[in-house]
Amino acid sequence: MKSFTYTITDPVGIHARPAGILVKAVKPFQSTCKITKGEKTVDLRKLMALMGMGIKCGDTVEVTIEGADEDTAAETIEKFFKENL
Amino acid sequence: MDYRKCAQEIYDLVGKRENLISAAHCATRLRLVTADNSKVNIKKLEDVDGVKGVFSSNGQLQIILGTGTVNKVYDEFLSISGMTAATKADVKAAAAKKQPLPFRMVKALGDVFVPILPAIVAAGLIMGLLEGMTKIWPDMANSGTYQIFHLFSNAAFVFLPILVAVSAARVFGGNIFLGAVIGMIMVHTDLVNAWSVAGMLEAGQQIPQADVWFGLYKINLTGYQGHVIPVIIAVWFMSFIEKRLHKIVPEMIDLFVTPLVTVLVTGYLTLTIFGPVFAQLEEWVLIGVQWVITIPWGIGAAIAGAIYPLTVVCGIHHMYNTVEIGMISNTGLNTWMPIASSANFAQGGACFAVALKTKDKKFKSMALPSSFSAFLGITEPAIFGVNLRLMKPLICGMIGGAVGAAVGSMFGIGATAYGVTGLFGFLITTKFVWQYAIMLAVSFAVSFTLSWITHKDKPREEDAEAEAPAETAAEEPALPSITCEKGKVYAPIKGNVIPSANIPDETFAAGVLGEGVGIEPELGVVYAPFDGEISSTTDTKHAIGISSPDGMELLIHVGVNTVAMEGDGFELFCAEGDTVKAGQKLMTFSIDKIKAAGYSTTTAVLITNSDDYAGLEIKEGACNPLDCVITIKE
Repeated sequence: MKSFTYTITDPVGIHARPAGILVKAVKPFQSTCKITKGEKTVDLRKLMALMGMGIKCGDTVEVTIEGADEDTAAETIEKFFKENL
Repeated sequence: MDYRKCAQEIYDLVGKRENLISAAHCATRLRLVTADNSKVNIKKLEDVDGVKGVFSSNGQLQIILGTGTVNKVYDEFLSISGMTAATKADVKAAAAKKQPLPFRMVKALGDVFVPILPAIVAAGLIMGLLEGMTKIWPDMANSGTYQIFHLFSNAAFVFLPILVAVSAARVFGGNIFLGAVIGMIMVHTDLVNAWSVAGMLEAGQQIPQADVWFGLYKINLTGYQGHVIPVIIAVWFMSFIEKRLHKIVPEMIDLFVTPLVTVLVTGYLTLTIFGPVFAQLEEWVLIGVQWVITIPWGIGAAIAGAIYPLTVVCGIHHMYNTVEIGMISNTGLNTWMPIASSANFAQGGACFAVALKTKDKKFKSMALPSSFSAFLGITEPAIFGVNLRLMKPLICGMIGGAVGAAVGSMFGIGATAYGVTGLFGFLITTKFVWQYAIMLAVSFAVSFTLSWITHKDKPREEDAEAEAPAETAAEEPALPSITCEKGKVYAPIKGNVIPSANIPDETFAAGVLGEGVGIEPELGVVYAPFDGEISSTTDTKHAIGISSPDGMELLIHVGVNTVAMEGDGFELFCAEGDTVKAGQKLMTFSIDKIKAAGYSTTTAVLITNSDDYAGLEIKEGACNPLDCVITIKE
């Protein structure tokens, strides 16, 4: 299992559009990807659930990735967070 | 601090009465619903002496005042604004003050009973059916299922004092939980069940007693199962001293001193004075009734038939079983049962007439099942819910009951058992089938006819009150309710439908968030596009996620880039986790403000899990709310 934490810098947080792009970025991987903020954890593939988290700019989230391709997945997703969120 | 001044300043700053829709309070906050939140001066509100904070959430303005303060400011706020709070007695009492005392008491009784009617109707119908069925199939009483159903049927009656107490506390403006405690004290399991008392006396058992008031006298430690009046008196008293104490006790210690003193004083007085006095009165009534029915030529029966419903009001009718047991063991014929049956059936008839005649749908929906319950012999719903409140049907029912009882007495009808009346009464009057039928028919005919003639719908003030806020939403016509079909999305907004690929935003157009349609809105109101659950909302209020029970997930994103407006111009009427029906208003938004901010108003309506489906069929062009705009192909 791989995990990393990240503090959101995108001023609108993970809202509709960023959430949509994020889900698309995660979809190709086989691994289970989860995002945690506070006590709430959701599947990164579920757009509605992700938006329901209401992640805002300045929030710190933890992303965990577990599965066959977790190494490449973790690398790509972490890169995605840094570049887009 | 000066509560009145604080309330007055809040009242002025929220835009006075015309901007207020409703007011309520919780432990620390005054919660106001305003017609237009923009008219509220939040900055100045925060400066009001006593206000610890202000914020607005889900269309509700919340003003933090703190424990012990908020309720006092709230009371002042109600009196300044002249608003009616459904749960506050003071305002209602003010309106009712002009009426004579007996009318006010009857009204209070009705106000207490109406909210708990569903519970009693359910219990009453189950009880009536169950008792009837065991008379047909006596073996059923031994089955486990019967025993379980029997619990359901009498739970509401056994614990009636708790239901009554909670409701009464609301009506009289006391704390409902303290009210519940008073009710629980009265049916506490350590007290002897009121319904077992007669049996225990017969068996020669001692009723446990307790010394009270320093040995001044003794009371029987019996409960008040099925009672109504003593409970209402107790809770009325409780509310009275609770409100008094709130005024006298310093705020700092109010939270523990007031409930403590209230429960101690009320509980003690209830078990030592209100209860026993009432129990004594009940006993005298019972003796009186037994004497009355010895008057010959049907006169005694007629009197008993007339006053029977009044004893139901007092909750004494449960004690008639002792009379009936006595009759059966002496003569083998229970001649009390036809009297009770006529009285019950007549109340049902009077209630039935009101149910048929009234045009008030809500009232009708309550009166109809209440009358059915009465025909099965359980009259509480009909008496408390309908007849007593209107008074005339009660009297019509009493007359019908008197005539019916007289007829029954002249036929010499007697039952061979006890416990059921009304239609099921046939089962225990098998020797008098046609006489019993005539008796019921007479009771019904008299009370129904009288009630039908005398009943007139009154214009109800509460209805006028309820309609007022609806007018403010006049520009948003109410939508007809629709039945949702699986896999269909109904237009949430009135406007022009375009394919999602044409939405002027590359993310939406590319289908990153899913496939669907764009709507160019004509009117800034979003309705639920199907029955489902709100799965997400945002602080910026411009987007709503909703999911259907069969797994369809839909995003309604109003405008493009409107997240940057940070909620200005948007108003939400739902919250995450809410269950909504198609056509329910979810959000309003200002088309002008979006345009002024330089954004497109085109609203994305996207099925975010469209990958799960084979495809979508969309209907382009002008749409009205709830036109079908997307159909899913599985």
